[in-house]
Amino acid sequence: MTKVMAAALAFAVLWPATARAHRLDEYLQAARVSLGRTRVLIELDLTPGATVASTIVPLIDRDADGVISPAEIEAYGRRVLADLTITLDGRDIVLQLTRIDAPSIDEMREGMGNIQLRATGRVNAGPGTRRLYLQNRHLPAASVYMVNALMPDDRAITVVSQRRDPQQSSATIAYEMGPGRIAQATWLSIGAIGLSALALFRRGATPDPRSLIPDP
Amino acid sequence: MTDRVFRMVLWIALAAGTIGATAFQRATPPADMTARAMAAAETFLATLDSAQRAKANLAFNESTRTVWSNLPTGIAMQVGATERNGVKLGMLTPAQEKAALAMVASVLSRDGFQKAMQIVDADQLLETRSAPTRAAGAPIRFGRAEYYVSILGKPSTTDRWMIQFGGHHLAINVTLAGRQGVLTPTHTGAQPASYSVDGRTIRPLGGENDKAFALINALTAEQKKQAILGVAVQNLVLGPGTDGKTIAPEGARAATFTATQRTMLVDVIREWVGIIGDEAAAAKMKEVEDGLGDTYFAWAGATDNGKGAYFRIQGPAVFIEYAPQGNGANNVDHIHTMYRDPTNDYAAKAATR
Repeated sequence: MTKVMAAALAFAVLWPATARAHRLDEYLQAARVSLGRTRVLIELDLTPGATVASTIVPLIDRDADGVISPAEIEAYGRRVLADLTITLDGRDIVLQLTRIDAPSIDEMREGMGNIQLRATGRVNAGPGTRRLYLQNRHLPAASVYMVNALMPDDRAITVVSQRRDPQQSSATIAYEMGPGRIAQATWLSIGAIGLSALALFRRGATPDPRSLIPDP
Repeated sequence: MTDRVFRMVLWIALAAGTIGATAFQRATPPADMTARAMAAAETFLATLDSAQRAKANLAFNESTRTVWSNLPTGIAMQVGATERNGVKLGMLTPAQEKAALAMVASVLSRDGFQKAMQIVDADQLLETRSAPTRAAGAPIRFGRAEYYVSILGKPSTTDRWMIQFGGHHLAINVTLAGRQGVLTPTHTGAQPASYSVDGRTIRPLGGENDKAFALINALTAEQKKQAILGVAVQNLVLGPGTDGKTIAPEGARAATFTATQRTMLVDVIREWVGIIGDEAAAAKMKEVEDGLGDTYFAWAGATDNGKGAYFRIQGPAVFIEYAPQGNGANNVDHIHTMYRDPTNDYAAKAATR
């Protein structure tokens, strides 16, 4: 422990005074995309760095009372959503804000506050290859972005590729949509009926080997 | 005569000693990790007063086991909780702290425990540096005193229970279920990522970094084309607060790797898997190697060791991320990592059996 304390003293002298414990000079916006048959879910985690928090906080705390009210964070969430473009096969998806949680202003000023935004959009994706495009234009001068497709809960959906621009402010997620469970069940039923009919037909068409044995 | 009596006594003593030692060995076979952990947990709990014990030993359930984070104390965690489970080292007596750390050590390998304590030491350096400039009344604290230890559930050799040890840049979550020990989800990190003690350089996550750089540079041009994502990745994708989620795999598939490249990949993975006790780590490594063909290695950033680069390893039963923080020159000195098992976090398989 004494050795660590000695190292701490040396470290305190040598460590750059500007270095901080957490995110510093960028606004991290990390999106996760959940693909479904009838809806798309966007999870967006927004973390202002310590030195950009002074720019971000006034956009949220509109009355500057030092407290983020539910109405203020909801209004900010809608502003963020307005800066997103999301399409499926070229058709716009309208996102609805379903949840947004805000950290305290102090946490944001330390570069450790995490705003959690959740939004959903209705889609009608039939079987075949689908392309979902997401672009985030929220505060580009201060921001760094991430975007990733989550593994779909629906096993009939397979993510084929994720193509992003180098800054990850936009991405195209290609995915294969297989037949749904109802369609699968319908086809399985048709298949089963067909096989049964075929079996019955064959039984009727094929003479019983015993009938070929001549009577004594 | 005296000599004969002496020899007889000596022979009887040796025989009795041998029989006794054999009988003792038979009565007490080498304890497995769960039995050792249970004994260590009970010893630790016995050092606490009733109020401390109530804080240290909580129920094992969905809302308690997910309370862990990369963040320091004084910040609301991603799951919403404002304080970690358990008692913090700074509130324990030296004897209590010794018992607490002995319990943590009982479920970790020698190297794993050393790694955890090096992360704690790094955070102590951070506290020393940041304390003088911290605003009066600021709730954020770093340092050894701010690491929490807890027991979730009743220590048992049959039922599921858990030991947590965590603070800034560290969340060791070991779930025990019978003879099974599961380390996932676990977070490690470091800031500073390199420091000196007695002229010796300490890099808590140096093995992870160096082995991964060696692997990316051992890939062919075609494999690198698959592995390197060509984007900037500024943080963990599935960090704290994202339990139960899995992302679509990307990168180079290990099925295309040579035997040497596979061995190098396994060595990188072992840096995380090997944090837990040796028996549990060996069982997990077998599972990882069985699924190696379906394991992906993805990379973002420079391929020159010494520069910041993100990497991810994703297989059927393993998910690992290594993420330098931010995009400045100092990002190599501030690392976050995550280790998950999409099939068995918190020993989920044991719960369904």
